[in-house]
Amino acid sequence: MLVEQASTGSGASGQNAGSLHFQIERRFLERKGGLGLEGEQTATLSRIAIDDWSTLEDRLGVSLHVHMNGGLMVAENADQVAILKAKADRERAMGLSVETIDGAEARRRAPYLSEGIVAANFMAAEGHADTRKIAPAFATAATAAGAEIQIRTRLTKLEWQGASFRAEIIGSEGAFTVGAKKVLVAAGVWSARIAAMANLHLPLFPVGLTMSASERTPHFLPHLVQHVAQRLSMKQTEAGNILIGGGWPSRLHRVDGIFDLSRPAELIIQSLRNNLSVATKTVPRVADLNLIRTWTGVTAVTPDQLPIAGEFPTMPGLFCAAGGSAFTLGPTFARLVADQMLERERDEADRLLAVASPARFDSLNGFMGR
Amino acid sequence: MTNSIHHYDVAIIGGGPAGQAAALVLDQNGARIAVIDEQQRPGGQILRQPPQEFAMAQSMKGKSYTSLKSQLRAFEALNRCDWIGGKSVIGIDRSGGTVDLTLASGDGITQVSANRLLIASGCYDLPIPIPGWTLPGAMGAGGLQALVKAQAVVPDGRVLLAGTHPLMLIVATQVIAAGGTVAEVAFDQRQSFLARLLIKGAGTALRNFGLMLDAASAWATLRRAGVPVTFGQRLSVIEGLNRVSSARIGKRTVHCDAVGLCYGFLPQSDLPRLAGLSVRWAQPTGGWAAEHDGWMRSSVSQIFVAGETSGVAGAPAALLEGQIAGAGIALDLGLIPMDEAEAIRRDAARKQIRVSRFAALLDRIADPTSALTALRDANTILCRCEDVTIGAVETALIQDSDPNSVKLVTRCGMGTCQGRGCEHMLLRLAAHKRGVGPNELRGFTSRFPVRPTRIGDLIG
Ligand SMILES: Cc1cc2nc3c(=O)[nH]c(=O)nc-3n(C[C@H](O)[C@H](O)[C@H](O)COP(=O)(O)OP(=O)(O)OC[C@H]3O[C@@H](n4cnc5c(N)ncnc54)[C@H](O)[C@@H]3O)c2cc1C
Ligand SMILES: Cc1cc2nc3c(=O)[nH]c(=O)nc-3n(C[C@H](O)[C@H](O)[C@H](O)COP(=O)(O)OP(=O)(O)OC[C@H]3O[C@@H](n4cnc5c(N)ncnc54)[C@H](O)[C@@H]3O)c2cc1C
Repeated sequence: MLVEQASTGSGASGQNAGSLHFQIERRFLERKGGLGLEGEQTATLSRIAIDDWSTLEDRLGVSLHVHMNGGLMVAENADQVAILKAKADRERAMGLSVETIDGAEARRRAPYLSEGIVAANFMAAEGHADTRKIAPAFATAATAAGAEIQIRTRLTKLEWQGASFRAEIIGSEGAFTVGAKKVLVAAGVWSARIAAMANLHLPLFPVGLTMSASERTPHFLPHLVQHVAQRLSMKQTEAGNILIGGGWPSRLHRVDGIFDLSRPAELIIQSLRNNLSVATKTVPRVADLNLIRTWTGVTAVTPDQLPIAGEFPTMPGLFCAAGGSAFTLGPTFARLVADQMLERERDEADRLLAVASPARFDSLNGFMGR
Repeated sequence: MTNSIHHYDVAIIGGGPAGQAAALVLDQNGARIAVIDEQQRPGGQILRQPPQEFAMAQSMKGKSYTSLKSQLRAFEALNRCDWIGGKSVIGIDRSGGTVDLTLASGDGITQVSANRLLIASGCYDLPIPIPGWTLPGAMGAGGLQALVKAQAVVPDGRVLLAGTHPLMLIVATQVIAAGGTVAEVAFDQRQSFLARLLIKGAGTALRNFGLMLDAASAWATLRRAGVPVTFGQRLSVIEGLNRVSSARIGKRTVHCDAVGLCYGFLPQSDLPRLAGLSVRWAQPTGGWAAEHDGWMRSSVSQIFVAGETSGVAGAPAALLEGQIAGAGIALDLGLIPMDEAEAIRRDAARKQIRVSRFAALLDRIADPTSALTALRDANTILCRCEDVTIGAVETALIQDSDPNSVKLVTRCGMGTCQGRGCEHMLLRLAAHKRGVGPNELRGFTSRFPVRPTRIGDLIG
């Protein structure tokens, strides 16, 4: 049984940018130590995710507007080009196919790019998919496969009772309890709260982000566009809107020193202005499009920026899949964690998810779990 | 985006009866005010001003306009108050301690900052997704009236007015006065239903002789002009190939070149909801009205509301609420003592009693519920920005009856108007599906910018 307090896709999965980014993410480059060591560790997962996304529409039997026409991470000066090159070396070493191209070549492939772009890393597998469609499509497929999905149904209590878990749940028809041998916490930014129900710490922290959509315009931007030194992601949806994001913050509401996840985060106008500046500097023609909506979404980060996926050592039977870029990597986590839960090629799943295992935060739970 | 920010004691969004009334109270008490409006000139919807004076004299000679017109003259004579016309407020930000507004126009972006904000942004025609409503020539009766008032433009050919709201009698006479032809004024309701309500509310109606007289004299004018006014036959389809050519009223086909749909008005709730104000579902037309206390304070500190923003009740009610809001803001800013503010409020509140009785009577008369319930044609477009049909929405509702989930799945409400046109109907369909009232559902989230804005104007 899957319980969802609101609707499928009502959380970050329906609010995100829909980028399928398989290069080492820029946020990993931001940290001290440079070249994204943690990001590099996710490269293995990225490789698997490329396969997962290439076949997802066939496996689910619906169009998800998956476009894998390539992604460009652009640079505007020599320092940035140096980072691109070093990054591409690492990525190739990890088995990802990335090439560094100069500005002229970048504009040949992507004529919409500004003259200020001096180089880009191109990765053919990158792209985007429609965030509106993914969660409902998975829900439909899961239901067809025999899963029971209850929406507007909320988990309120979770306890380990020696032999199984006992979950208290409130649905539209009232409260009920469910016993389960295994439980997966995949509640996005709310996951830490679910873990707390089971008396565990889960270091997942909410962050507010900003996304914008332009009016529809004839298709001209087939790629995913990112910037190596600035927060930027751009793509064009099937309907024709240009989506602009890249990690610009919005402000979470707070009540009594606790982040209020029940309200949309508040827009920071300066954040939006900066985001739009980077976008128009990279793709000048968007300046003449109308902005029709800027929205905020909340996602979860961990202390080391890596996702958390796997079984809690302190509480066997309890699994987690949350944090990180879980649009791109979500289908892959889901598949591997399912393998773990079903003890299906478990060793292989454990090996692939090692980088994301909750075990790395086990020290937080030395006093917890009972 | 310019960085010079003009600072005021009070910013007022909306230069209609409510905004003007508040400005007059506040100006008298020494406040520095800016009144911002998308229209170039003050007046709001009801006294929308045309470029040429003659058109105004033509179209607005009804009794109910007298006090509104004298208020408008007084407002225009204010010389300390800054009129910022032709600019849309697209965002409200309170994070800096003041209320900071982002304004957009063809000339780019400007910013205005104030200690208090009054949202008096009015209402708009209730959109009716009836088959054919997206054909060129079909429009809201208010929109039709706005054309006549602001540009003295009358649609070519024969105009049909149809709906439930008596305002269409007045709009019909304005069309005729401006040189147009009215094919018919078709009320959905039976005449006996109207008569019963009017007799029951006769006292209320008489005490509001201004508006009633306008409606009555409008009716007489139409009769003299030979325009049929019909009752109890519902408009069911608007027909035409590339534009309107006829409409079905009951079992009849009426040939016409334009249709004005008049089923009531919805509060403009984009800015109130963007700023996080508590709102309630407005009965019976729908839409979201901002909640307030006795001084017109909203649920969010520093922000007040007045006029149709707090629920559609007509121009005289808007004016009185504006006066109370003006007194409330002056009190909040320490510009007047409590007894003076209280005196203004008492005076306005006394007049409000009869005005609101009349508004309630009008609500009952014009109730669009049964007309809206009849609208279930699967092939009719509901969201005209994204071309989503009623049928597509109903299909999505089977999977999940949450309006925001349906929005995500179908794109209904994802277009440039942010759901102004379709949200009310989607909520009605979802509520019906779930067997609850629309007030129990969560509406769309209003987002910046509340009007489409050129990206190049926003950067920096
Ligand atoms: C603006 C933005 C842009 C992003 N861009 C990208 C991108 O381009 N690429 C990328 O890979 N990632 C991106 N992300 C991150 C990505 O969206 C998330 O990592 C991912 O969607 C998380 O999926 P999830 O299923 O873990 O969580 P969610 O989608 O948030 O789902 C969690 C669900 O749990 C439910 N829930 C919570 N508590 C309970 C309870 N007690 N009982 C029942 N149900 C409960 C919630 O209602 C929610 O629906 C972005 C995120 C944001 C906010
Ligand atoms: C098209 C139309 C025609 C109408 N005709 C009549 C009539 O003939 N008789 C009658 O009794 N009632 C009429 N009504 C109802 C009428 O609106 C009210 O009775 C009265 O005008 C309400 O006054 P108000 O001050 O609340 O709002 P309004 O008079 O509507 O004033 C609100 C003002 O706010 C401005 N505004 C809104 N949003 C923004 C923004 N984001 N930025 C900047 N400015 C903004 C608008 O341009 C408008 O001028 C009409 C309504 C509409 C919509």
